[in-house]
Amino acid sequence: MKERVDVTDVGTPTRTTPRALGTTPRGQRGRRLAPYLFIAAAAVYLLLLTGAPLLDGLWLSLTDTQLLNPTEGAFIGIHNYSSLFADAEFAHALVVTIVYSTATVLGSLTVGTVAAVAMNGAFRGRVLARAILTFPWAVPSVAAVLIFSWIYNKDSGVLNQALSSVGLAQHGWLVDPTWSLFAVTLASVWKVFPFVMLVVLAALQAVPEELYEAARVDGADAFNRFRTVALPFLLPTLRVTALLMTIWSFRRFEIIWLLTQGGPVGSTNSLVISVYREAFVNSELGRSAAMGVVGLVLSTIVTVIFFYVDRGAARKEAL
Amino acid sequence: MTLRKTLSSAVRGFGISLLVVVAGFPVYWLFTTATHTTAELFGGQVQWLPDLRRFLTSFTSATSGVPMLRWLSNSAVVAFGTTFLSLIIAILAAYALSRYRFRGKGVFGFALFATQMLPEALLVVPLYSIFLTFGLLDNLTGLVLSDTAFAMPVAVWILKSAMDGVSLEIEESARVDGCPRYAMLTQIMLPLIAPSIAAAAVITFFEGWNEYLFANTFITDEQKWPASKGLASFIGEFVTPLNHVMAAALMFTLPAIVFFLFVQRRIVSGLTAGSVKG
Repeated sequence: MKERVDVTDVGTPTRTTPRALGTTPRGQRGRRLAPYLFIAAAAVYLLLLTGAPLLDGLWLSLTDTQLLNPTEGAFIGIHNYSSLFADAEFAHALVVTIVYSTATVLGSLTVGTVAAVAMNGAFRGRVLARAILTFPWAVPSVAAVLIFSWIYNKDSGVLNQALSSVGLAQHGWLVDPTWSLFAVTLASVWKVFPFVMLVVLAALQAVPEELYEAARVDGADAFNRFRTVALPFLLPTLRVTALLMTIWSFRRFEIIWLLTQGGPVGSTNSLVISVYREAFVNSELGRSAAMGVVGLVLSTIVTVIFFYVDRGAARKEAL
Repeated sequence: MTLRKTLSSAVRGFGISLLVVVAGFPVYWLFTTATHTTAELFGGQVQWLPDLRRFLTSFTSATSGVPMLRWLSNSAVVAFGTTFLSLIIAILAAYALSRYRFRGKGVFGFALFATQMLPEALLVVPLYSIFLTFGLLDNLTGLVLSDTAFAMPVAVWILKSAMDGVSLEIEESARVDGCPRYAMLTQIMLPLIAPSIAAAAVITFFEGWNEYLFANTFITDEQKWPASKGLASFIGEFVTPLNHVMAAALMFTLPAIVFFLFVQRRIVSGLTAGSVKG
């Protein structure tokens, strides 16, 4: 069987496997201490700036703390959690999160992979095309929101103007609950697909040219060459990318908040939007923290599933 | 056979053009909108082409009504601070992850990865109370600290994967030549991975440059707003003319596009490589 492609090796196909320096007998004690000195700053930093706030957030989620009186919260056990799971609005936010994330991940993986395959061959203007295809990733989210809310503008936006000039119906993209989630997802896919493209492009360059040749000699067309030759090489990369895309979608805030604030009538109200609104609009810090913790648990579950699938696939490929 | 070939290359050409148009249009539209008056923009007629004569006036008027330059310079302060702090911490941590085996390495790597799962919306309230205690609210230093928490792990991945690519023999021969161990990182390793350091610098810079949620919550004094918050304040506000808003957004966007074009590849290989092994 073919050797398994190392998922961690994207883009650095020629790297050497480092041996640990700490295995030589000289200066054992110093060697053992050295790595801890090197990571000390990062570890302390993570403990103080993410670990401590996270613990604080866990604690908050068990209290009834209010924004205007943040030190007077009383311990109320799991009441916030039990009230969340009885709350239809929260259930709806979970559904929105899952729909939004699934659509964004699938959309960006598809567009990104297609773009990477298109950019992998040689053609005139390739450098320029590639540069333009990376633009969306570089545009700051706040600027992207300004552009998209103008493009989506109901009366004067270019999207509606273009649609009506070819005889199609206009929509209130951001103000009509039927279309808002679609519009937000579209803007998100636009923003993140270049990342997928660049990752897949790097992985495609590791596919041996002889394999393509062999498939061509066998008479496989372009689509089948991709499916049988490139795809097996890409799968590990696509799995990692899908994981990153998913957990990033779960926590994506700016694009949704600034485009719609979760509205209209809750149609784009994802979990992180609820977390923010519960804290800063409804002043319920405790309940907001409980929502955030639920989100974190979801991301953790997804991550565990991905690693499990990844390992299962690795074992299968090794057989 | 030749017909099929022509056909498939036509399909391919069409696909590529479509992708380029879809990806590039919003940026083009940002530019075009910035060069038209509101009367033209809302006049019911789409202005497809930019009015180049109005290019400079849009920029100057965008900076006159609001403290846009001030906001941009605040963003630059936050971005430079985030870059500096993230790189120092990340270089050390990446060296340990790349060159040593030690107990707790897995946990440390997981903690780095976990930062990518944490919703900022959950951390923002606890951080707010921490910053309140230490007087870091309404303070650009506070933003540097919170942005670094998310930028630094990404820098560690990029740098670690670059360091993994440097052969151990180089360090060993340097040691034989009498290079002291503590100088190995600064004198041997860092010059060799300079391009990846540049990539990590760019990505951390723009983490600070683009960040909105923390800025929106921690900074209330308008003179201290970074540009992300300043620009967001135009959303849903109809006093500032749209072309001025777009010109301001363009000023905020251009540096990001220019820098990203230089380093995109290395960022990507580092991100995917690091996220699994940590």
